[in-house]
Amino acid sequence: MKTLYVEGDSVLHRLPPRVKLLGLAAAGIALFFFRSIPPLAVAALISAAIYASLGIGLRHSLARLRPIFLTIAVVALFTLLVGSAEEAATVLLRLTSLMLLAAAVTATTGIGDFIDEITLAARPLERLGLVKAADIGLSIGLVIRFVPEILDRYRAIKDAHRARGLKPRILTLAVPLIILTLKNADEIAAAIDARGIRAQK
Amino acid sequence: MTTRDLVLAALFAAIIVALGLLPPITLGFIPVPITAQSLGVMLAGVVLGSKRGTVAVLLVLLLAAIGLPVLSGGRGGLAVFAAPTTGYLIGWVFAAFVTGYIAEHFVDRSQTGFVQGVNFFLAALIGGVAVLYAFGITYLALVTGLGFSKAFLGSLAFIPGDCFKAVIAALAGRAVMVGYPLLPQRA
Repeated sequence: MKTLYVEGDSVLHRLPPRVKLLGLAAAGIALFFFRSIPPLAVAALISAAIYASLGIGLRHSLARLRPIFLTIAVVALFTLLVGSAEEAATVLLRLTSLMLLAAAVTATTGIGDFIDEITLAARPLERLGLVKAADIGLSIGLVIRFVPEILDRYRAIKDAHRARGLKPRILTLAVPLIILTLKNADEIAAAIDARGIRAQK
Repeated sequence: MTTRDLVLAALFAAIIVALGLLPPITLGFIPVPITAQSLGVMLAGVVLGSKRGTVAVLLVLLLAAIGLPVLSGGRGGLAVFAAPTTGYLIGWVFAAFVTGYIAEHFVDRSQTGFVQGVNFFLAALIGGVAVLYAFGITYLALVTGLGFSKAFLGSLAFIPGDCFKAVIAALAGRAVMVGYPLLPQRA
């Protein structure tokens, strides 16, 4: 799986991940306090400038941001139809700024940095006995490891349908996929415990 | 959580991610194309139950947040949490929990297959549609300032597709329970 991180050496790349995440949260809250168009337009321009400073390139940025921008545009259009033009512009500018800032943080923070941050943030919860912080990294690794395998299995089940002249249907695909995949759980769990990875009671 | 529970949740998270990579399907009688990913959220509840199902969905959202394009249509990164539809993503967590909770408490091995199927359907419908839309519509209404009735109107087109998914989730949930039961059974 390709991550959305982009190699680079911009100011944002060099900032510690925690500063970026806190900054993003603060910006998200601040954006909802601006209700008129001029400050929101300025915010959108600043966000666009920050995103542009990463040097991702226009075509590549479009490919990344299009699905989310489309949702925002559809909602803005719907607001325009049922509300006023001002409301529609507010929604469009506010959410577009937020999208650009969030995408900038994602593009400049590697997965490892994120996992470190999350593990650190989970420490207080660990003290309360709610989660084990180390489990987070472990499970993320497991998911990434098994997605390609599940896709292969999906293709195999689809081929099996074709070979028998059956039409692949979501139900007859999903059930064997789920059962075959989850049946691995015991082996994987045994392998993890045998290596003492979770070092637990 | 035992290691097995953790692995089951992670494997199911991987299934939800894989479902998001499948192309959306269009059904003749429903206006919008439906993606299989939100079906995965209902399935997490009916197959794994409340706790492990919730963890599976949380893992998918965590992967999206740290910059992996795991959501349907290759979406990912923190930007997906800045969209007007973010409420639906937050709702996923509660949808899986409620679906799983109902499935655990109301589906019993001693029931006939039909009753099990109906109970699974109700679990998926209440959790995966009612709870999900409560979060999605509330968020949409607040973030865009549309107001509840208009936000509801805008979401209406997606509801038939999700009810259809609840039927699939119920049938699949029962089939998996017969083939490889995992739901922690409680009276």
